[in-house]
Amino acid sequence: MPTFTYGDISIEVDEDGFMQEPEQWNEEIAKALASTEGVEEMTEDHWKLANYLRDYYLKFGIAPMIRKLCKETGFSLKYVYEMYPSGPAKGACKVAGLPKPTGCV
Amino acid sequence: MRTNVITSEEREKAFAPTKKPDVIERQKLDVRYHVEDYDVDNRPRRFLEAFAAILKHTNYRLALEHFIRVSTKCSRCAVQCPIYQATGDEHDIPCYRSELLLSVYRRHFTVGGSIKGRLTGSGHLTDEKIEEMAESFWNCTACRRCTLECPAGIDHALITHLGRFILSEIGISPRALVVSTREQLEGKTGNTSAIPLPALVDTLEFLEEDIKEEKGVDIKFPLDKENCEFIFIPAVSDFLMEAETLMGIAAVFKATGGSWTISTENYDAINYGLFYSDRILERVIRKLYAESERLNATNILIGECGHASRSAKYYVPVHCGGEKAKPVLNIMEYTYRMLKEGKLKLNPNVITETVTYHDPCNIARQGWIIEQPRYIIKAFCKNFVEMTPRGTENICCGGGGGTVSIDEIRPYRTLVGGKAKGDQIRATGAKYLIAPCANCKKQLRELVEDQKIDCEVVGLHDLIYKAIILDDGQTENQKTNRKG
Repeated sequence: MPTFTYGDISIEVDEDGFMQEPEQWNEEIAKALASTEGVEEMTEDHWKLANYLRDYYLKFGIAPMIRKLCKETGFSLKYVYEMYPSGPAKGACKVAGLPKPTGCV
Repeated sequence: MRTNVITSEEREKAFAPTKKPDVIERQKLDVRYHVEDYDVDNRPRRFLEAFAAILKHTNYRLALEHFIRVSTKCSRCAVQCPIYQATGDEHDIPCYRSELLLSVYRRHFTVGGSIKGRLTGSGHLTDEKIEEMAESFWNCTACRRCTLECPAGIDHALITHLGRFILSEIGISPRALVVSTREQLEGKTGNTSAIPLPALVDTLEFLEEDIKEEKGVDIKFPLDKENCEFIFIPAVSDFLMEAETLMGIAAVFKATGGSWTISTENYDAINYGLFYSDRILERVIRKLYAESERLNATNILIGECGHASRSAKYYVPVHCGGEKAKPVLNIMEYTYRMLKEGKLKLNPNVITETVTYHDPCNIARQGWIIEQPRYIIKAFCKNFVEMTPRGTENICCGGGGGTVSIDEIRPYRTLVGGKAKGDQIRATGAKYLIAPCANCKKQLRELVEDQKIDCEVVGLHDLIYKAIILDDGQTENQKTNRKG
């Protein structure tokens, strides 16, 4: 399994750069992962989205439906793509420390 | 069909390496999709053993015996193949691809071929050939257009399917598919997207609230109701990605008074077995059918998903009781019937933009579902334009055959696989591109983004949701007007 290193951080990731042990996630790791996703700076909105995903994941074990994510954060899907260029499932979820989505997602 | 060969810049992007050299070295496999580690020793021997076992336990031999006799490698299929049209590479001509496996069959499983091979000491299966098959069979999107053109009636997609099946028996299959089916058949959640039941319940409640807010009507997504006319099973990814499709379907059931239920023990009709393993295919079908029996539903209704519909429609009878098996329908068949019987009313003044329709290969190629969606669309969309070609001859979205789930080959899918489709979409100038298939939707959204085409990819029921007239005669349009 590849290891991802960024500054002092060293974590196990899969080939696509998703965390292998999501429970180790913290804000420093989020910033490190964001650097691989074309996110220059984690703004307040970036954190709002990442934290929302994180909370939902801890409660339900999966990311929320995209429509729900947009509605509850108040962000349009377009804006989500502006923040995280690979989109909610691949970009934002990776930064929030969720495992890689599987199936037709 | 004609499309231009991709530019050298596009070629570079589409075929860029996706793996590190140490992984390629370890797995002895230079293909672009990721594979889980497997036993790399004695691959030719193990491939032939798997091939022999499959021939023994299935009726593939019958088809192969026919194909090796009639194959002339005339390459008429080249005209129909969107992959070959985009790459211009002779290795992508369907009958070249088929010959990779047919030559192995001829050499190792026919008397004449074995004798000839031994006398000349040639033609035996090598590691290089296995590697070429592993690459070639997953460059194909299994759209089956080539089968339309072959004058000898060779089913190239069946050969590709068999090739992928044998490869999967020795551990060579895209990891994305393997991981998903493992979760579906052996994991805690029992579905390919790993959605736990509490998350499903939360999602359905959210959708019910949204419908109430937008339409002012109470609509339920029934769970585990017994003795319904329909057990409804969509591609599970719809519960993450396709809110409007699901809301549209629930609204259709509300308007038509249909008796339906979603089940708590199997809410995923995705069947990646159709793409790489008959053994997986059968297990997924049996699991799906068992749930329809548990809830004693009369019919199995599959959501907007091409391969899920085709696999259930054609393999439920094979594995679950032949002619006595419960009928399998696609949701568009239900909606079509309701509209035709006058039980469904759609407001013709809501969708005024240009709309086009993409035929998913898995439900259109054999002529099953072509006119039904068009009847529905024409009933309420003012400005409908067709793509050319369409129906049984449609062009694949570029992500068929399971390739859409392989993220690491996205540039290949959108620049090569979807090249011809992109040309078609552009030519319509449509605002809405209807693609009633979870697989096609994902691929086409990525395609319009990568090819910079300005249009919105939606499901058929997404538009129905906007235009449907519910009990109190309300549509979104009228509601907006009132607000204004």
